[in-house]
Amino acid sequence: MSGGRLRRIVASARRLARQCRDVVARTSRIARWEVSRSAGTVDRKTVLALVVMALAIGTAGVSVSDSGLGLEREMYVAGVDEESRYYDVAVESEQFRAVPLDDIEADGGGDSTAETATIRGDANVDVVVTRDGRVGHVGDNGAAAYDAFRSAVEDYNAELMDDEADQAAAYPVLVSLEYQERDPDGSTDSGADDGNDAGSGDGTGGSTDGDGSATGGGGSSGTGDGDGRMQVPNVGDGGTSTSAGTPGSIAPPFPFESLVLAFLFVVPMNFVIQAYGSTIMDERVKRRGELLLVSPASRYEIVGGKTLPYLLGLVGIVAAITYAIEGGPIAVAATLPIALVFLAATFAGAMLARSFKELTFVTVTISVVLTTYTFIPAIFTDVNPIALISPLTLVVMDLQDESVRLGEYLFSTAPFYLSAVVLFLLGIGVYREEDMFAQKPIPTKVIDAIASRIHSRWSVPLLSVLFIPFVFAGQLLAVALLFAVPETVAVPVIIIIAAAIEEVAKSIHVYAGFARSRFDATLKTGVVLGVLSGAGFFVGEKITHIVQFVGLPELTVGAAAFGPAPSVSSEPVLYLAVLLAPLVLHVLTAVCSAIGASSGRNGYAIGFLVATLVHAGYNLGVLALVA
Amino acid sequence: MAILEVDDLRKEYGGFTAVEGSSFEIERGEVFGVVGPNGAGKTTTLKMLAGLIEPTAGTAVVAGHTPGEPAMQRRLGFLPEESPLYEEMTAVDYLEFFADLYDVPTDAARERIHDSLDRLDLEHRDRRIGNMSKGMQRKVAIARALVNDPDVLIFDEPASGLDPLTTNYIIEFTRELSDEGKTVVFSAHNLFHVESICDRIVIMNDGRIVARGTLEEIRDAHGGTEYHVYATADGSEGVEDGHSPLEVTRENGQVRHVVGDMAAVDAIRETVEADGGRVTDIQTKTPSLEEIFLEVAREPTAEAEA
Repeated sequence: MSGGRLRRIVASARRLARQCRDVVARTSRIARWEVSRSAGTVDRKTVLALVVMALAIGTAGVSVSDSGLGLEREMYVAGVDEESRYYDVAVESEQFRAVPLDDIEADGGGDSTAETATIRGDANVDVVVTRDGRVGHVGDNGAAAYDAFRSAVEDYNAELMDDEADQAAAYPVLVSLEYQERDPDGSTDSGADDGNDAGSGDGTGGSTDGDGSATGGGGSSGTGDGDGRMQVPNVGDGGTSTSAGTPGSIAPPFPFESLVLAFLFVVPMNFVIQAYGSTIMDERVKRRGELLLVSPASRYEIVGGKTLPYLLGLVGIVAAITYAIEGGPIAVAATLPIALVFLAATFAGAMLARSFKELTFVTVTISVVLTTYTFIPAIFTDVNPIALISPLTLVVMDLQDESVRLGEYLFSTAPFYLSAVVLFLLGIGVYREEDMFAQKPIPTKVIDAIASRIHSRWSVPLLSVLFIPFVFAGQLLAVALLFAVPETVAVPVIIIIAAAIEEVAKSIHVYAGFARSRFDATLKTGVVLGVLSGAGFFVGEKITHIVQFVGLPELTVGAAAFGPAPSVSSEPVLYLAVLLAPLVLHVLTAVCSAIGASSGRNGYAIGFLVATLVHAGYNLGVLALVA
Repeated sequence: MAILEVDDLRKEYGGFTAVEGSSFEIERGEVFGVVGPNGAGKTTTLKMLAGLIEPTAGTAVVAGHTPGEPAMQRRLGFLPEESPLYEEMTAVDYLEFFADLYDVPTDAARERIHDSLDRLDLEHRDRRIGNMSKGMQRKVAIARALVNDPDVLIFDEPASGLDPLTTNYIIEFTRELSDEGKTVVFSAHNLFHVESICDRIVIMNDGRIVARGTLEEIRDAHGGTEYHVYATADGSEGVEDGHSPLEVTRENGQVRHVVGDMAAVDAIRETVEADGGRVTDIQTKTPSLEEIFLEVAREPTAEAEA
């Protein structure tokens, strides 16, 4: 390399470094002044309200973290004497309140003080432990109380065994439990050993619900037959019955506490976006942003500077919550993309809204949609891999001390990061005098925002790729909402929804380009843009194959949304056909929409409809072929 | 040397043309007026010069840079028609913020800010802007436009909605800035202000420039100075070609001859005296900018070059 060339490279690098330094400096200045300025807008009452809210959230978090929700505290009453070996179980269990047998009051008659308690009708207890050590249940809540008491006994025993110095003696048999996905026909595989144990047989599958044990006299008592570790008395004159255990009786698959704690991360975002949205709206409604636009700061620096304090604030809050509930760094890392999407969506919404009233609608919509999108999938953290579409699932996993793999993190968060980037870019596209202060209808502004990113024909395939995260998120949300619906309904609906979402992503920017005169409205241009858009989308769509790593295509609705997982055929021609068929489809349907878009709004609507139907037909055909 | 050059500038919004074919140059230290009725394209033109609006076609060069470039923005001070200030900040904080944004060193910024506020006679500088009167807010806005010590200032309706005292203060201040060598592009509806401080003017109508030049040049192009010659007899008969009166009327027993130059006045006088009459009065009539403005605003929008 010649000396002159090296010097030029060094000079370019220095210039680039200086420009980066200037960008960072201006952005941080705007951020600093944004904090200073915003501080002047907050009065004492608001500060007080914020402090109270923060304390409430903090207290709730710490409380749940330390001692659970407490919703079940002393929910049941156990009649048991102090002398009973079950007394400590009742006392130590949070769910039970112990009362002596002498204090049992039976409404339906019976001898509560007898050596063998016989109770008919209602009583002030749910579970009774007789003096001879038998356990039974009474009343409407009896069966549930009995199950809870069983669990309490198991927990108590487990605790005793954990405290046992000789662990080999305490656990002579090793048992591993593994949950299996439910088959569509409803059968279950409950439990599997890991090959290390001498057999499962822990009795958890043999719990007793006593439902069928109620006998005459209006009594609702029931008994269980026990599992060898509990002596179940025949309380009253009912018989006994047994039933198969459910996974729920083994361990809760619903991570309730972790979910509540994870929800705490989302709550502050809903408040912060209100303030953030108002700040952006303020710049527009009062034209205050005009003077920043005429300064040497670019609109990227301005938006960055205005967003940074809110993002850092959210990260700080999330970090504080994480510290309070003893979460790990992964909780913060998983929450960051959620915070970014909240802010990006609010920014884009605030750029589109024409008034504070519309902004309220926008922020509420964002709150509801994003909270739903992040929270509902996380409910299925322990059940189904689809839960990973939400980064909140990673938080739940972290709070349950489960490890999170890099692939899982990327799968959950990449669509959020990309969506945030695209939303910010679209918002910044209309962060200019001509759009910021104009009272245009929202659809017009959306088209303006998209058109602002079209600089040449090559912008079309690029935008098709950039819209992939929205397609991914939209289709995953549809899958999440519909996977519990009967497949006969869910599959056709999702086929059409998935096709429509993809066709929007392939055509909306082409329409925007024609509508804002970025392209000549000719048939030839429409065909060229359609081909570019379809091909770009084909490339971007391949990203969605990442779903293979989490097994979503194994779900029928997942396959309907994303297509079946490609399989390698031994026949090269067939393999090529399978690979290229989607390309042909995307190009064909994109050309349909683009030709329509070149002739105006009505033409676009017709072209889009045709494209969606063709696409849906293709998906249906592929599904039928695979099935 | 021109510090601001505009060549065939055009701005379209959908099918509507807001500015079409604007071309002009502004010399360093000039006060350049842009006038026209509402919707004429004045503000759009000024915002294109400020880099706020991207032209559909044509070019503008301000201080050697294209509008929108950071280097150009550093040399520009822009005062929009409204005063969109951060009302929750104090005047000093607000100005320091913008000085910071323009990379003005802290000490220099403070000195410049207080100097500007002194010159603008702004008191209560630590009061929140939202608690200031409109006149005070306007002064803060002007101080903000000066915070980067710009070479070119664009003032769009700087005295809009202000009381006469504050208005005069701002007009005088604009003149002072020009005397200091700053170039000012000045737009106002009050044509008296434009007439009193602008070196050159363009008049816009329907997005086009319909008149341009110094005030004298525009007057000449749109009727110029008229002379009303009052005489006891009609002197229009027999006057030499080229000196014929533009208009002859009878008022109170006198004949009024309207002519365009002093040579015609002399010709009329000679004719009247040859007929035995005498000239009783000669009045000079100069059209105001407002009269010219009203005239060109009614005309079709073909540009009338001076």
